[in-house]
Amino acid sequence: MPNPTEVHPVLEIRHVSKRFDATQALEDVSLVLYPGEVHALIGENGAGKSTLIKIMTGVHRPDTGELLLDGKPVHINNSQEAQSLGIAAIYQEPMVFPDLNVAENIFISHRKRGMIVNWGRLYRDAAAILAQLDVRLDVRMPARGLTLAAQQAVEIAKAISLNVRVLIMDEPTASLSAHEVDQLFRLIGALRSKGVAILFIGHRMEEVFRIADRITVLRDGKLISSRMRASAAELSSQREQVIREMVGREVGDFFAKVEVPRGKLLMSVRDLGKTGVFTGVTFDIYAGEVLGFAGLIGARRTDVGLALFGIEPAESGEIIFDGQAVQIKTPEHAMKLGIAYVTEDRRGLGLTLPMSIATNITLPTLRRYLNGLGLIRQNEEQRTAEEYRDRLMIRTPSVNLDVGKLSGGNQQKVMLSKWLNARPRLLILDEPTRGIDVRAKAEVHHIISDLAAQGLGIILISSDLPEVLAMSDRVLVMREGRQMGIFTRSEATQETVMTAAMGQHETTQVAPL
Amino acid sequence: MNALRRRFQPEQIRELVLIALIFGIILFFGTQIENYFSPRTFTRISTSVAVVAIVAVGQTLVILTRNIDLSVGSIVGFTAYVVGTILSRNNDIPPVMVVLLAVAMGAAMGALNGLLVAYGRVPAIIVTLGTLALYRTILVEISGANSVLTNELPRWLVNLPPVNVFHLGDLDIRLLFFIALVVVVLFQFIASYAAWGRRLYAIGSNPDAARVAGFPAQRIVFTAFILSGALAGLAGFVFLARFGNITVVAGQGVELQSVAAAVVGGVNINGGLGSPFGAFLGAILIDVIDNSLIRWLAISEFWRDALLGLLILLAVATDTVIMNRLRKAWSRHELQISGSETSAEKGGAHHAA
Repeated sequence: MPNPTEVHPVLEIRHVSKRFDATQALEDVSLVLYPGEVHALIGENGAGKSTLIKIMTGVHRPDTGELLLDGKPVHINNSQEAQSLGIAAIYQEPMVFPDLNVAENIFISHRKRGMIVNWGRLYRDAAAILAQLDVRLDVRMPARGLTLAAQQAVEIAKAISLNVRVLIMDEPTASLSAHEVDQLFRLIGALRSKGVAILFIGHRMEEVFRIADRITVLRDGKLISSRMRASAAELSSQREQVIREMVGREVGDFFAKVEVPRGKLLMSVRDLGKTGVFTGVTFDIYAGEVLGFAGLIGARRTDVGLALFGIEPAESGEIIFDGQAVQIKTPEHAMKLGIAYVTEDRRGLGLTLPMSIATNITLPTLRRYLNGLGLIRQNEEQRTAEEYRDRLMIRTPSVNLDVGKLSGGNQQKVMLSKWLNARPRLLILDEPTRGIDVRAKAEVHHIISDLAAQGLGIILISSDLPEVLAMSDRVLVMREGRQMGIFTRSEATQETVMTAAMGQHETTQVAPL
Repeated sequence: MNALRRRFQPEQIRELVLIALIFGIILFFGTQIENYFSPRTFTRISTSVAVVAIVAVGQTLVILTRNIDLSVGSIVGFTAYVVGTILSRNNDIPPVMVVLLAVAMGAAMGALNGLLVAYGRVPAIIVTLGTLALYRTILVEISGANSVLTNELPRWLVNLPPVNVFHLGDLDIRLLFFIALVVVVLFQFIASYAAWGRRLYAIGSNPDAARVAGFPAQRIVFTAFILSGALAGLAGFVFLARFGNITVVAGQGVELQSVAAAVVGGVNINGGLGSPFGAFLGAILIDVIDNSLIRWLAISEFWRDALLGLLILLAVATDTVIMNRLRKAWSRHELQISGSETSAEKGGAHHAA
């Protein structure tokens, strides 16, 4: 491999900043990509990796700073322009057209191949590109039947056919088996020797250190470090250094949960599993306790939440709620037991958007608001909504306003109201503070602490590590569908939790699988 | 403007605009057609709108859940023909039984639609396109190419159309129109005040959230189809009473008219927005135009359909353009009310950061 200092960079990102409302997604980030180099970009969820990718592919424009291609400033306005400049991205889920065959997928973005398809040439060209990559694949086969790894090979072939110079790979290994990862890494090797600059975003430490020439750490939108991969001898100390840099966040300004004596056992979960999603989830939760669920994206924490609420029921294992073995198959059943689930997906599973705050709050509990004739007592409904507005400090001139018009933090509080009104005993909160501003976040933390003090058991799924640590009595860590361990408050530190979440090495705390 | 904002929501403004439009069109034709402003015009339009209005209410219930019922035209024809045939063979069936029979027949046909859509998870457009053809074919098969004739029907039924319920000044409110009015009021009430109606909107607004909210969404969709069928059955009875002579093609095209009425009346084809009353206004608007164009010599027969189509496109266009503007204007206003709060929030965020 040539020494990068003698090679001219393909793409330079200089002092780029980007702000979304309350969050500074990127702050003065600079990055240089050299041909023939695999550049790994790592960081926690929300560190700014996706924003950086979106700026490189023209989805977002930087507020300040510039991009230089071959030393010349460029403005990328959309992904087509990025593509024509030789910048392409492939994602965790390959974007292939299932009904088109391999060759058609490879050449789908070509506009200069004439009006009439020369099938013979199409197949020959496609086969030639795949041969370069040493991939054996029938170019006439529809993409539908392909494995994920093969679909990624098709995407990479597509990028090559477009003479890609910068290839961004966003967690390409997330859903691949170990064998498929090997195949993918061989492809990356082939691309590297063709002089393509590769930006590799990954969560698995061992993979990052296996494939990367250079490693850059982002944290809270800032560039923390950028270094060449160490030699084999120093590799493990470099790994530890990188993990420290990823997690070194200030915890000081977080509100911490008030400790309350643990109540009685609320629910025991034993060896809960769902094929291909998660296995071996085992924990107890007590009244008055906040059990944090930590992990990276793809750790399948949300899937456990969906299973416990009966939306996507588990297939194996047992749940003992209040001393009774139960099988939770539907949300109705979960609600009857006293379980409520506040989704991370506000617009999808959470709120019915063109409807008012009051109607959203009473939706799951509408039966309580009916009079003898089965009609809704709208005054009663109004009163409940106003009660929650005051209690949770929802900022709105009227509870009859369309929820869609509220800010993210207030929408979150409406969802909380909706499920608190169901009077649950176990509350599952999935990313309750994602995308809301600092003040609303602090308010939600206070609410969580109060609820626990009132004797609710709370499962707090959060990707915000300092939040999980500050709010939880115990922290359960998951990684790719497996439970990596449960840490008590004193054991849980950013390092121990992140190390378990990234699978650096199996901890001594691993729960029986 | 502010008083306007306080009193009305954008959806209600839409209905007011529809009413204004109906009056505007009536005024226009008043200048064009001789003797247009007469009680007879009112009677003609109000009796002819009854069938589509009743069906459009049922259609609205279905569309609110993000589905569609294209089989209603066939159900209208089927019930009108079969009930007519039974009556022509036995003139002594009591009127109440006749109406119940029509409604039950429609409900049964609607239940098949609902079963396949709600529990079979087949898209509504496929299911009801299928049953549209199926119900019609069964009708053609059992009819043996015979028609129901007015002179075979019992006297009470033949004499039903001119029956008045009450007068509004010179205007007669005919029984058939009155039935439609009762249906509209009843279902508007259910849509606004009953839990079932509320859930109908919730399902159409966000089916996933509805599933998670823990109420029986499938059963509610199923019931919406049953009601759509039952109302089509009732409309079949009204159709029979109004025309007397029923052939196997009776009610053809009612499915499109009912969808058009709902859409023109502000029912969002993607579910979750609209009301039975809006659909009723839509049905009236279409019928006023249709009826007046027949009498307006300035326009050829062929242009009537084109105008109807244009009206539907216009309705959908205003839905997206004007309603979005209205909603924006409304929310700007609301933001002003909560403006101080919003800036406080920002300031708080800034300090804490």
